Parts: sequence; structure tokens; C-alpha cells
Amino acid sequence: MPWNRVWEHCTLILTALGFIIVIGMLLGIISYLYPRLRKPILTVVDILQTIPSLATLGIIMILMGGNQKTVITGIVLYSLLPIVRNTNTGLNSVSPAVKEAAKGMGMTRAYQLFHIDLPLAFPLIFTGIRIAAVTSISVAVFGTFVGGGGLGAVIYQGIRVSSMKLILFGTAALMVMALVIDGIMGLIERRLYRRIGLQVPD
Amino acid sequence: MIEYRNVTKSYGGSPVVKEICLTIEKGEFVVLVGPSGCGKTTTLKMLNRLIPMDGGDILINGKSVKEQNPEILRRNIGYVIQQIGLFPNMTVEQNITVVPRMMKWDKERRRKRARELMELVDMDYDTYANKYPSELSGGQQQRIGVLRALAVDPPVILMDEPFSALDPITRDSLQDEIKRLQKQLNKTVIFVTHDMNEAIKLADRIVFMYDGKILQAAPPEEMLRSPADGIIREFMGKHVQKIRMEDELNCSDIMRTRIATISPQRKTLECVELMSQYEVNSLVVVDDNKNYLGIVTIEDIRDHGEAGQPVEALIRTDAPCVGTGQHARDAFRILVEKKADYVVVVTPENRLAGIVTKSSISKAMASALWGEG
Repeated sequence: MPWNRVWEHCTLILTALGFIIVIGMLLGIISYLYPRLRKPILTVVDILQTIPSLATLGIIMILMGGNQKTVITGIVLYSLLPIVRNTNTGLNSVSPAVKEAAKGMGMTRAYQLFHIDLPLAFPLIFTGIRIAAVTSISVAVFGTFVGGGGLGAVIYQGIRVSSMKLILFGTAALMVMALVIDGIMGLIERRLYRRIGLQVPD
Repeated sequence: MIEYRNVTKSYGGSPVVKEICLTIEKGEFVVLVGPSGCGKTTTLKMLNRLIPMDGGDILINGKSVKEQNPEILRRNIGYVIQQIGLFPNMTVEQNITVVPRMMKWDKERRRKRARELMELVDMDYDTYANKYPSELSGGQQQRIGVLRALAVDPPVILMDEPFSALDPITRDSLQDEIKRLQKQLNKTVIFVTHDMNEAIKLADRIVFMYDGKILQAAPPEEMLRSPADGIIREFMGKHVQKIRMEDELNCSDIMRTRIATISPQRKTLECVELMSQYEVNSLVVVDDNKNYLGIVTIEDIRDHGEAGQPVEALIRTDAPCVGTGQHARDAFRILVEKKADYVVVVTPENRLAGIVTKSSISKAMASALWGEG
């Protein structure tokens, strides 16, 4: 069994996730600090997600060549939306009373962002990360067509050689991966919400 | 120590604060009161620059707030808001010490300060320090809100309707607490409310605002006694009457004016007839100019009167009598001590004004307590 492909898939999505979190939160924070940029930023990440992921990967491959970087870039672009949107929503939904108190206590804008706004928005941001993680797992499957390897390669090979065993192995591995990541992140999420006294959203 | 100099503020061309001048002494508890939209909150928030002023200046200890870095300025002015606004991601202790942390106090000093402050409001440090705001009651949350404002011992505390969201019992005890703390720590407090009861209870000086202007700034007693404007009188409503009840109600306030009188030329039989008609056993005798002459009683008519005789001869002049300007308490004392049915009230010109009876007193007290009856 090609276990190394499982590992490869994991590396792909974890690397991509790292970029998604940094870029997504950054865009979310910018759209919060500069409300005029909110609409353009959200529209762009929204459009990125409506392009079929295979097409996104194809376009990037033509520009950057076929390799793992292409796959990672594709995953990042495709999965930005939930984090950008949740970061923005989370920051904007911090209660006006808390914001006024923060300002009244003499916090600078940056201090307030890091000590009040972001910690309070973090549960919602984390929900965005969780959604992005699960999406990335399936987007990465298409990576095999642009030379990225991963579990997509296993399934594709299974299709070519008509091997039920290979197809099922690839599929099962993807499902387990998705379930495990979703499950663990769900647990963390629950604790985050409880910590700030919020109801866990369904 | 705080001086507002011709401070103005408008929103979209319409002025909300108009050339306000106000000086506040150190250690003074000043309450800004007035109907909503009168500019009191705006006046408060211009002090710590949460709202920028359009014109004029505010000085703290002779230094303009405009010349100071707004964040540094705010850290040195305590601030308590209506919606409490505790940081839900921080524990009670972290909330209290949020300003000390910004000012880079070390951990030991912060902990000591949190302990000290919590003792001030009788909250046990070990029980509450590590709780989150969501685990506290509304009253406890606002206590922490107040402690947070006191953390770095700022000389001035601003409070924007801090207790209006609390239930009446909690509000009452927090009012007592804040007044005690203010005295004990000698803080200058500027407090905004629309509740006159609260203002009277807390203020050293009430500043009444209306339509962006200060109508009157005076100690509660003085404002109640002599409100400078009809609007203030109306806003204070029953408080005015209440305080007058206590020390200013005079005989003319508690007398009744519709009374049975008779002129001295009338005959005894007419007099008896009138008494039975009004179901009274005495009448007040006045001449044609309403000058008070005395009273005539049914006993005197029965014992000494003759049919057809004018009542003039039977007038008693020793009936209990008070002046209109005399204190209501005097009339009341006479009624009780002499077991009289009524006390006659006369004007300084000796004209009859009315009489005070036990029922007229109860009526006056009822209307003072519960408004116009």
C-alpha cells in the first residue's frame, strides 16, 4: 500500500493550511481595519472559490509549472474564503461596549487588536480554519494532475489500472483524514467557545 | 482641577453642546443630569477625548487635554460605562489590571493591586480572581468595572450611566458603594445619569443640562429648593414637592379655602341654619371685606344666644389662628395639642385665607408624596 502518498497528502495540506491561515487572517484583519477594502477583498476571495478547483490548478500550472508549489498555491487560493470571511465577521462582531471600554482604558488600536479583538474573534476564525482544512483535503486530490502527488495519485492510478483496492485505499485514507482533522478541530473549537462564555454554534 | 472653557460640539451641523463652561474641584462628585439628547454624555466623553470637541478647551490641572496623547490621557482617567464592557476573554483579575498591564507594572504589583481593590468592594480574591465575567452577576460585573477604572489610582473617574442597566436593589447598593469609595479615596467623579433620584443621592453638585446648555449647576438641596428654570422643576417633578414637605411647606399649602363663613350682622337662627346645612358646629365670622373677626360656635349660640340677635355678640376671638406664611408644622401642632377641629389661617392683612383641618393636612401630604392628587 502506498502509505508514503498519505504522508505526502498530509504535508501538502498542512503546508497549504499554514499559508491560508497567515494570508487569510491578514486579509480579514485588513478588511476590518479599513472598512472600505472589505467589499473588494471579500469579492475577490469569493470569486476565487467559484472557479472549479481543477481549473484553478490548471491555470497556476501554466504560470508556475507542474510541481508541489502549484498544488499548494491552488489550495491556498481556493480555501481562503472561510478564513477571510470569519476573521472579518469575528472582529466586527466584538461587542461595541467592549470596544468602547478598550478605547476608554487607553488601548492603542494595535493593542486592542491583539489583546481584545483577535482573542474574542478567534473562535470564529478557528471555525474558518476548520472549514478550510476540510476543503483543502479534497482540493489536494486534484493535485496529481499538476504533478503534486498525494492521495489523488493513488486514486488516479487505481482508475487507470482498474484496481478497486487502490481506489478504495485512497478514498478511505481521505475520509479518515477528513474525519480525524475535523473531529480534533471540532473539539478544540468547542473549548474555545466555552472559554469566552459563548454558545457553540451548530 | 477640571475646567471646561466654552466647549462646543456639533454633529452634522446641528450643535449638541453649546459653549459649555464648568469648573470642577478636586474631590468633587459632579452629576450631569438631563433628558436624553441634552448633550451630557457628549460633554463627558470630550474630557477623555473619546469624542473630539469642535471648539473651546478642557483643562485638567491647567493642562489642555488636546495637548496630551489620547491613550496616555485615557489611562489616567478612570472610565465606567453603562454596558459594563468587561473583556470576556480575560479573568476578573486580568480585567481589573488591564491598565496596569499597559503601563508595564510587574506581575507582583498587579496582583497586589487586584487584591487591594477587590477588598474595597468585599469581593474575595481567591473566589473571584480567576473567574470569567460571564460567571458573575450583573452587579458583580459592574463592581469589577468600577475597580478596573480605579486600578492605577487615577484622580478623575468618568461614569456614563453606570448603574442604569442594573435592577433597583443592586443599583441602590452600588450607589452607596461608589459614594463611599469616592469619599474614602478622594476621587473627582463626573457621573452622567438621567435619573434625578440617583443625582440627588450621589452628587455634591448637580449640573442640569438641557439642549446642549447648562441650565443650572448647584448642590442637590439648592436645586430642589430653587430650580433655576421651569424645565428643571418639571424634570425633578415630585422631588421638589417632597423636599418642600420636609421643610418648606407652609400653612397656605395645606389649608382648604372653601369654607363656611358668616357676616356679623346675621342673626343666630340663620347661623344655626347654615351650620346644619354644612354639617359643622362652628362658622368663621368675616366682615364684608373678608377681614377675619373670629368664630361663632353652636355651643355659644345655645348657651348665650337669643333668637333674632345678630351673632356679633357671640363671636369668640380666642380660636386657634395661624398666618399663611407660618410653617405647616405649627398648624399641625395646634391641631394636635389643642384638640381643635380646625385652625384658622389669616393673611398678614388679617384677611381670612382658609382653615387647616386634619383632612386638609392628609390631602396635602398625599399630593406631595404621590404627585398632584
